[in-house]
Amino acid sequence: MLTFVNVLRVGVILTIAEAAAVDDHRMEGRLKRVIITATAVAAATAMILTAGCTPGSGSSGSSDPNTFEFWSFTGINQQASVDAYTSDRPDIDVKLTEVGDTSETAQALTAALAGGKVPDLVLIQGDNMPKFMQAPENFVDLTTLGADQMTGDYLDWVISQSTTEDGRVIGIPTDVGGMAIAYRTDLFAAAGLPTDRDEVSELWPTWDAFLEVGEQYVAATGKPFLDNTPTSIFFQAVNQGAERYYDENRELSYDKNPQVKAAFDLTLRMYEAGISGRIASWTPAWTAGMSKGDFAVMSAPSWMLNAIKTNAPDSAGKWDVATIPGGSGNWGGSYLAIPARAQNPAAAWDYIATMQSPEGQLAHFLEHGALPTTPSVYTDPQLLAKTDPFFSDAPIGQIYTESVVNIEPFYIGPDDATIGTELLNTLTSVEQGQVEPDEAWDTALTNVRNALRG
Amino acid sequence: MLSPATARKDTGRPTRSRQIQQGVRERLAPYAYIAPFFLLFFIFGLFPLLFTFYIALFDWNPIGERSYVGLKNFSDLVDDPRFWGALRNTFSIWVLSTVPQLLIALGMAHVLNHVRLRAATLFRMSMLVPYVTSVAATTIVFAQLFDRDYGMLNWLLGLLGFEHIDFTASLWGSHFMIAVMVAWRWTGYNTLLYLASLQAVPRDLYEAAAVDGANGWKQFRHITVPSLRPIIVFTVITSTIGGLQIFTEPLLANPVGGLTCGAARQCQTLTLFLYEQAFGRFHFGYGAAIGVALFVLVVIISAINYLLVTRIRSERP
Repeated sequence: MLTFVNVLRVGVILTIAEAAAVDDHRMEGRLKRVIITATAVAAATAMILTAGCTPGSGSSGSSDPNTFEFWSFTGINQQASVDAYTSDRPDIDVKLTEVGDTSETAQALTAALAGGKVPDLVLIQGDNMPKFMQAPENFVDLTTLGADQMTGDYLDWVISQSTTEDGRVIGIPTDVGGMAIAYRTDLFAAAGLPTDRDEVSELWPTWDAFLEVGEQYVAATGKPFLDNTPTSIFFQAVNQGAERYYDENRELSYDKNPQVKAAFDLTLRMYEAGISGRIASWTPAWTAGMSKGDFAVMSAPSWMLNAIKTNAPDSAGKWDVATIPGGSGNWGGSYLAIPARAQNPAAAWDYIATMQSPEGQLAHFLEHGALPTTPSVYTDPQLLAKTDPFFSDAPIGQIYTESVVNIEPFYIGPDDATIGTELLNTLTSVEQGQVEPDEAWDTALTNVRNALRG
Repeated sequence: MLSPATARKDTGRPTRSRQIQQGVRERLAPYAYIAPFFLLFFIFGLFPLLFTFYIALFDWNPIGERSYVGLKNFSDLVDDPRFWGALRNTFSIWVLSTVPQLLIALGMAHVLNHVRLRAATLFRMSMLVPYVTSVAATTIVFAQLFDRDYGMLNWLLGLLGFEHIDFTASLWGSHFMIAVMVAWRWTGYNTLLYLASLQAVPRDLYEAAAVDGANGWKQFRHITVPSLRPIIVFTVITSTIGGLQIFTEPLLANPVGGLTCGAARQCQTLTLFLYEQAFGRFHFGYGAAIGVALFVLVVIISAINYLLVTRIRSERP
């Protein structure tokens, strides 16, 4: 009988997993999004268990033409855009849900597409986009709703990532992640370093110069210079190359591309120089450290500014933004898409068309700082004049547009997110003292190969 | 009021066919009573189980194509160091949590059963508090206690002049941390099981032993432990089954890595690996193969358990 009970337990292991997920996230106040994820997963499981259903069946969404459901991720303040939209269109009811972080949102969307209740509108982070591009039939071709009139407004290399080879557009880009470095002026002053943003930018034209500044800082204060190397160095440097994990023929080349190896080695050098606080990004210690000044610099792609403001509100005025060593680059950026089974695609499209027009993106930038994907506004005097008091009145419009105009776009493939995660995790293991630096590259390649096979 | 005679007259003399009918009905009735369980079991237990075996034979993407790959998922699994790592983590966390947990529970049950214990009900009831607290709450609090920079444990270590320990980063540190969470949750539950069983042990045994000069330890060894043998076997089995399925603690314990429980998968258990593959990366086929492997594992361990139980039973006086 015991064996029998075990059989039963293992048989419903999938159900157990999702039940646990619902029950257990409650404390973090993430109940709502977990329920969404779990319901979507449950629905997907149910669909799989009832077999034979193809994606595309099942009911979804709200039927009220003035209501639509919108899934976004946390940390980018989508509510502000929704409020701006509904103040012009009070008749529209936007049901916004922040599902989770970027990959949790993509997971929930995948589960929903597989047979659950889909939203009418969803925000997808750039690295997750290629996975969805492999099955474009799950989304509305936005050219049928009028996107063909708009595609010319966006940076080519950004809109091309959401356009299929036969010309279907499944996502409209909302922002790009122009790169910069955020630093604490109070801590720089205490270490005897310049605090003026132009002087600071001149301190580190290259990553090697950045390392030297770091060593000076540590020598003067005895405290870590930057938060961590995997996110603040590797994810920046690897995004400054002309190619990343795929070559120009769209073949995997992460293990051969010298630019990836160079970024990886640079990260290891930074770690070995002892300037890293070894505090992994997105952890409670990281957000605490941001407030307490446990580190003096951190990478700050344009969307990170919001994360700093949200996580360390009491550090207002102590930060400033300088240019990033090594030239232009992009990390992040997102797309809005409409699932094929959306109940109310028309309302969702009206939102996209209104908010993601060049004027809409400019207005959002002026309020909240996510960098527009529409180059026509890059020379707009309002954008160039935009400063942010939280960051000592840094001219963020100027700094971030300069980092993306000269960008060398590279192909982002379906396995980019997986490869990036494995490389990052290996470098995190190095920081945690679990992997020796001289074994790190081989370990990383093994981890990537395992992940790609599974 | 009907007399027995009129009652018989009303229903009429039972004919032979009626008797048979009634006999059949009586024999079928028990099956009808247990039918709901089996119906539910077939829908939610057996069918998903068999379907998991089926999915394991496919490369199954929930929103894309799916193709039959035969046993490839299983051969991949055997070659996959992540699977063996997860297996090692599962067993290590299980041993680290179960052994101390049951030993402590045994000792506490002995103490709580003592005649001269004041406010016994209070102590006994408070044993259940960890058990009724949400696992997520427990995990988050413990994760903060074990934090490298701001955790209370490391603060204490710092006061005593030791280096801070990064528990979540290392293999043994993270296993230890999760084992503590699991043990904290289940020790009280097991204590109560032991205690309930101890209540059935006649008090005169302890009194007689005390009169004969046996101290607490001797009483524990020669009275408490032998009388608890059946329930000890039971708790070993239930905690084995639970231990192989530890999921929530590793999911929430490590602030780095999420579904992998750390950058190096240092505390990812089998169920978490399954969840990562099936619902994080949407390799349903591979996830199902992990489920099947877990199933085989549980069957093997249950068989060992069964042998042990039968042996212990036959050894009984």
